[in-house]
Amino acid sequence: MKYRKIDTFKMIFRQIGSLLIILGITMVVPTIVSLIYSEYYSLFGFVISGLICLLIGSLLYYRIKSNYEPLKRHALIIAAMGWLSIAIMGSLPFIIIAYITPLEITQGFIPAGADYQSSLFFFKNPLHALFESMSGFTTTGLSMAVHEPSIGNGLLFYRHFIQWLGGAGFVVLTISILRQPNGKISYLLYNAESTGERLRTTIIETARSIWKVYIFLTLFCFVFLIMGIYFLLPEYSLSDNIFDAINHAMAGMSTGGFSTLDNSIAEYQSQGAEILLLFPMILGALSLPFYVRFFNLKQYNQLWKDLQTKSLLILFVIGSLVLSFMLFISGTISEPIRVGIFQFVSALSTTGWQTSDIHTWDSASVLFIVITGMIIGGSLGATVGGVKIIRVLILFKGLFWRIGGYFRSEESVNIATVNNQRLLPDEMNKELATVSTFIFIYCIFLLLGTVIGYYAMGNGFTIKDALFESASAQGTVGLSCGITIPEMSPILEVTYIFQMWIGRLEIIPILVLFRAIFFGTKPFLS
Amino acid sequence: MKIVIAGGGDIGFYLAKLLEQEYKNIVLIDSQKENLKSVETNLGIATILGDSTSYKTLKDAGVDSCNYFIGFTSSESVNILSCILAKKLGAKHTVARISNMEYILNKDTLNFKINGIDDIISPEFLAAREIEQILKEPSLTESIEIEDGKLKVIGLHLDENSGIVGKSLAESAKFNTDNSFMIAAIHRSGKTIIPNGKTIFETGDYLYFITTDKTARQILEFTGNPLIEIKNILIVGGSRTGEYIAHRLNKNFKITLIEKDQTKCNDLALRIENIQVVHGDCTNTKLLEEERIGNYNAFVSVTGNSETNILSCMVAKHHNVTKTIALIENIGLIDYSQNLGIDTLLNKKLAAANFLFKKIIRGNKLSFLYGVDAEIMEFTLHNDSGLINKPIKELNFPKKAIISGVIRNGEGYVTLGDFEFKANDKVFVFSDSQSSNKVVSFFE
Repeated sequence: MKYRKIDTFKMIFRQIGSLLIILGITMVVPTIVSLIYSEYYSLFGFVISGLICLLIGSLLYYRIKSNYEPLKRHALIIAAMGWLSIAIMGSLPFIIIAYITPLEITQGFIPAGADYQSSLFFFKNPLHALFESMSGFTTTGLSMAVHEPSIGNGLLFYRHFIQWLGGAGFVVLTISILRQPNGKISYLLYNAESTGERLRTTIIETARSIWKVYIFLTLFCFVFLIMGIYFLLPEYSLSDNIFDAINHAMAGMSTGGFSTLDNSIAEYQSQGAEILLLFPMILGALSLPFYVRFFNLKQYNQLWKDLQTKSLLILFVIGSLVLSFMLFISGTISEPIRVGIFQFVSALSTTGWQTSDIHTWDSASVLFIVITGMIIGGSLGATVGGVKIIRVLILFKGLFWRIGGYFRSEESVNIATVNNQRLLPDEMNKELATVSTFIFIYCIFLLLGTVIGYYAMGNGFTIKDALFESASAQGTVGLSCGITIPEMSPILEVTYIFQMWIGRLEIIPILVLFRAIFFGTKPFLS
Repeated sequence: MKIVIAGGGDIGFYLAKLLEQEYKNIVLIDSQKENLKSVETNLGIATILGDSTSYKTLKDAGVDSCNYFIGFTSSESVNILSCILAKKLGAKHTVARISNMEYILNKDTLNFKINGIDDIISPEFLAAREIEQILKEPSLTESIEIEDGKLKVIGLHLDENSGIVGKSLAESAKFNTDNSFMIAAIHRSGKTIIPNGKTIFETGDYLYFITTDKTARQILEFTGNPLIEIKNILIVGGSRTGEYIAHRLNKNFKITLIEKDQTKCNDLALRIENIQVVHGDCTNTKLLEEERIGNYNAFVSVTGNSETNILSCMVAKHHNVTKTIALIENIGLIDYSQNLGIDTLLNKKLAAANFLFKKIIRGNKLSFLYGVDAEIMEFTLHNDSGLINKPIKELNFPKKAIISGVIRNGEGYVTLGDFEFKANDKVFVFSDSQSSNKVVSFFE
């Protein structure tokens, strides 16, 4: 059989088609929400966008006939291109609704007594819409909607909903719904998106069990938040409470960090509510396979045996205390402990809910939250961004392992133990090489983002703000020190969109895509 | 009692030799003519040529009326199968030799008894257990527990520095202040002596003590042997025996294991926690020096090659390793351990045979001592026994045997001349092999 380039393209586009079909179907949910809130223009926007996605998706998926077997590189390319096309198609509702909604309707979205214009108009700029969509699907949470409530409940719900979909992985969702012709393609795609762990006998089963646990946890957070807010702030209206809770549960569990409130979580002005919202963030930062093991396979000892979960919980406590202390001695803000704990948990879990104006913080605190919070990120296999805590642990393990090696003879078999797994020297070296290349390339892109940010950001910002915003975008965190505004430079906006994209997919798939585009698929000869 | 042994290899041969002294009705099955020939010329037992998994052969050997069927061929599956068959044919008790350590470690779950195998024995496992015992009580050359340690038999070598060399048993008795032990037998240049008051200790004597003292501290003070503490162990050879030792001792000791084969090294390193595996040849003295052999307290050589084991132990002794243990194939060499300068020479087959012997001879012989022509016997005194309420010295006990200990109401006593028996005492006797019949009739 002759391998033709066109067959590869066919196969890749067919898979992307399948992703778009699922995206189109999911548009039903925000449509229903728009109907509930009688926002008929939003409803219309979602229906149109959904139909466009379905149409393109079906054309690609059902019209292209391909029985080509994908290779590992194809799966990575599908993941990279798939996520980009989802972000693009997912920006449609923002644009369409922004254009079709008449002025007097949008005025109705603005809360009574507020003196600003509806933020919906920002989405008339397709770049802003793409930014919002990418920020949503990658669970980042940086936003172009300056005053969130003023875009209408339908679109507000849609923002959180796409975060929730992106959290557990869009490819994983597609695998669990659409039946693939063979198991290999599911397996490859699953590995391309989330560094795979086969928990069940088949990948489809694994993907389904992950989604089941994810839905269960989100529902749990939803109930938890409704009851919590009801008891803490009894005067808060019940309908708002339910709407907030469902959106915050989705944004928290997916560590996305969008909020229905104008000033993010600070809007509650309640210490109790902040403590309440720590819970979904911490739940979201733990790995989904861990939950599957914990709930479905009843391996309760995972809570203290799983290295990743254990060290993440420890880091939450220590990091919060250190940040609180640093903020306290800097004296830049009031209530350093309250802010320190909430912001550190928000950063490490890469959620991005904000209660403080980080622009006013001192450089040391910013540097601390960037490195120990946003760069490290949560667990591998969770909905988080960052380099993931397990990789940092492996690097440290590797360091001690290497130094320990000098105290043994050269002939000794120097075993390394990582997460209760015993690795031979060769295996450990391989593991270390993979991890350190990833962290290296992660830092390179982080610095590139910082440099671009430095030259393109507005006045009144310093290099620490550029670093912070870059780390926030690439780590899919979503905390902002104020650089991200609709008036920002388009170059910087594109940079952040790019960083969010590579951050969610852990860079390698995008590099593989570029390699294929610029250098073809033939191996380099040396 | 009728005993059928399948497998006339080294281990079967040795077992047959041991059993022959006690029992008349022994049958040995082997499929190799040469093996049977050497058995016939050396031992006076019946032999049958054939496959021990064959119905006819088993029938011919009279398995249907035997008390013990022992599957001791070199093949595990043959042993298991022939034991199952023998049980079906009517053997009362079956014993299979196996080599897969997992079967022993998961004995309770697998429950071979249901399938007709009453006992499973692994020589490698037994050797490992012996070594484990030695490393746990390193000051003693030998240590056998009786009734969960209520009494203990301890073996020790006397060296020239010992305070009692040149003294007689009666003279040295004053060092034994609280009568917590007694000397039951002396092994000297291949012969076993049951001592009396006039016996004089010599350098190189191997003494058997019986004691109630679990730590044996008193005995060590008495002989002047040093109290050894072991912290680091160097194991050479990742055989099943080596693996098992490492597996059992990795919690309490620092263990380094040297193995020649790289794949095996990786395998061991992955499987056994808390030990350092080193890839290399133990006869490479450079490697041993690089591993700082002198810093180890114990050196255990359990490779498949006896000569390598002996040589590397000698190297270790040269580097002042306190305790050296070598696994050897040749049983005859055991007597020379002192001359070779190796603390303990062990033989798998002997370990297995000894274990079996204990199992089979449940009657009155409790334990068989290595390379020594003496045994420990156990008797229970009845109400109507003529021996009750008389001091031991007034009993006319055979000269070549000694009453050494008693367990009364769950407590151990060392019996000296003034000791008086009571009803239901469990009496332990050290006896020269030739006098054992006399001892038995004495108690009857």
